[in-house]
Amino acid sequence: MSVQKSWVELQKMHRACTLVVETLDLLERAAVPGTTTKELDRIALENFKKHGAKPAFLGYRGYPATLCVSINEEVVHGIPSERRKLKEGDIVGLDLGCVVEGFFGDSARTVAVGKVSTDAQRLMDTTREALFAGIEMCRPGKRVGDIGHAVQRHAEGRGYAVVRDFVGHGIGTSLHEEPQVPNYGPAGRRERLVPGMCLAIEPMLNMGRAEVEVLKDGWTAVTEDRSLSAHFELSVAVTEHGPWILSEPYPYAREVAHA
Amino acid sequence: MPEAARELIEVGGIVRESLPNALFRVELENEKRSVAVAHVAGGGGLLRLLPGDNVLVELHPYDMTRGRIVRKRG
Repeated sequence: MSVQKSWVELQKMHRACTLVVETLDLLERAAVPGTTTKELDRIALENFKKHGAKPAFLGYRGYPATLCVSINEEVVHGIPSERRKLKEGDIVGLDLGCVVEGFFGDSARTVAVGKVSTDAQRLMDTTREALFAGIEMCRPGKRVGDIGHAVQRHAEGRGYAVVRDFVGHGIGTSLHEEPQVPNYGPAGRRERLVPGMCLAIEPMLNMGRAEVEVLKDGWTAVTEDRSLSAHFELSVAVTEHGPWILSEPYPYAREVAHA
Repeated sequence: MPEAARELIEVGGIVRESLPNALFRVELENEKRSVAVAHVAGGGGLLRLLPGDNVLVELHPYDMTRGRIVRKRG
């Protein structure tokens, strides 16, 4: 069972998640042909320092950077490098996390470098839609399996494969908390959702098959068939009124917020 | 940052004892212990298992003392 956060704790989650998404906005603008992936990593780290936040990924299980940059067939966990430059037509997954007052924010998006093919654009659009289909399920009375089911239905309905080897997760005072949130599976199963739970929902969709492999660096996950892959992630709190995307202002009337 | 999925784990083992209700005691090859496993064949039908048979067992991290026989090996 995931830890239920109080209203005060959710405010801290909100600050962390907002900073992550603002930093992703900066990175999205910097993701132009010729930028190295290491440069993006620096921008992220500097912005965190400016706001007094700590990077969440740096040092996590030995991860060497602030940001994960996963280009084209790379699914997730791409390590920034001075040698890797973005090219026109790339799709680039940017995954970022920070710690504010002990609370973690975690979010990702896949962005286009210059002009990309319509196939790539459709993959990215579908992945974002699948994320929102999952978020829609974040209500008390639903279960974790309902989230994965909604994501899978949306993705497979449009002909994409859902990555199974990596999953979303609870989030709070550590980056990965219970429960795991797979992006697939039957509805109505797994943990019950209760107000105060915070989940990082993160569909990873492949244009080809679902299988992924991890490269020799121990981190970078790529599609086994080298087809394009996209990844979107938001941290969401379950409230008694429905989902609260933690990087956005509280969407319900303040006086009815749960304790 | 996604987390590596913590899902079912597949391990090989050898059937040591036949128990009631289509249960078997299986000695796992990677650890020196036995677990009780329900025998659910993937194809639907029951397959005949005898002590000494080499099998593939599916375990869930929540309860590593029980599992499911997926199929017979070799």
